[in-house]
Amino acid sequence: MLLRPSRPDIVDRAAGLTDGGTGLGLRTHRPEIVSGVEACRLSVLAPEDDLGLSRGFRAAVARRVALHSEHATLISEYPASEEPGLREVSHGGMPDDPRLAAVAAHVDMISREPARASRAALQALLDVGMSPAQIVALSELVAFVCFQVQVVEGLAAVNGAR
Amino acid sequence: MSALPVIRIKPLTWAPYLPPVEIAEASRTQLEAMKVTPSSTGVSPYVRTLAHDPESYVARTQLFNAILYAEGGLPRADRELAALAASLANGCQYCANVHARKHVRLSGSGRVVSALWAGRRDALTDRERAIVDFAEALAAMPARVTPKRVRALREAGLGDAELVDLVHAVAIFGWANRLMHPLGHSHSTARGEAA
Repeated sequence: MLLRPSRPDIVDRAAGLTDGGTGLGLRTHRPEIVSGVEACRLSVLAPEDDLGLSRGFRAAVARRVALHSEHATLISEYPASEEPGLREVSHGGMPDDPRLAAVAAHVDMISREPARASRAALQALLDVGMSPAQIVALSELVAFVCFQVQVVEGLAAVNGAR
Repeated sequence: MSALPVIRIKPLTWAPYLPPVEIAEASRTQLEAMKVTPSSTGVSPYVRTLAHDPESYVARTQLFNAILYAEGGLPRADRELAALAASLANGCQYCANVHARKHVRLSGSGRVVSALWAGRRDALTDRERAIVDFAEALAAMPARVTPKRVRALREAGLGDAELVDLVHAVAIFGWANRLMHPLGHSHSTARGEAA
């Protein structure tokens, strides 16, 4: 998919590249990466086939991952959910629903300590009724937001230390 | 400093925890994502596992290739060093193994990999150490990147374009490592197998 990069985008805003100066020029030598990051964002947050994971669910999970970054500007790009259950997911709390609670625990572990991942952790998701396809989609979503956090933190550091 | 032990990295094999997509049962979108026809064999278990979600698989693979293989900017060997350091920080043995071997191939030397495997940062050049330190700091959640880390890279000769390439190389392994390690396990292979 070829997207025409529309800038400033989320990464530009969250990394503070829009605050005057030459920040916005940092990524111009890599237009295929700028458009590629946006295509990835859409593929995990708003896919054509959601595999049974709604956009609301995906947005709540994405915000939960972003909370771990402690990066206020990036977090502000992910609105909190008002739906029962998803509200707790999006605010970093523990939902009562066992399926959402298993998802929340998994998301926290993968975001903060991916080295701790194990077969048992995936089994916990299968046990609450998630399909292999949904587990893969959830994994891609969580890992994408971690990627986005690092791009934002990295670009902000490069832009700040010039 | 004492002599650096020479460490030879043998390839690992990866196997998924989840049942991968079977080619015979794959949807058209999944087949297209895997770029295969129903008669194709030899699509790796990793690709067939990620093909459960073909949209993110295709988008991520294109981005991954753009980050690691685009011409100009940060030298390819340095991108592999960033991939290796990030994979070690994120605890993905399989990715660390693959990118250690790529670094050896691209740099023509096993010195850097031997130094990292033996915990001998003193055997790294200032430039290599600056790249590894930055990758580790950026891979942490929350990130621990400081202006000092960026200055060390600039002092080692990296300009804006190289720094941006480095950020992307570290970050894409913050993604890839969170798939490869959580979704499967790796073990040593008796004979060499292409990664």
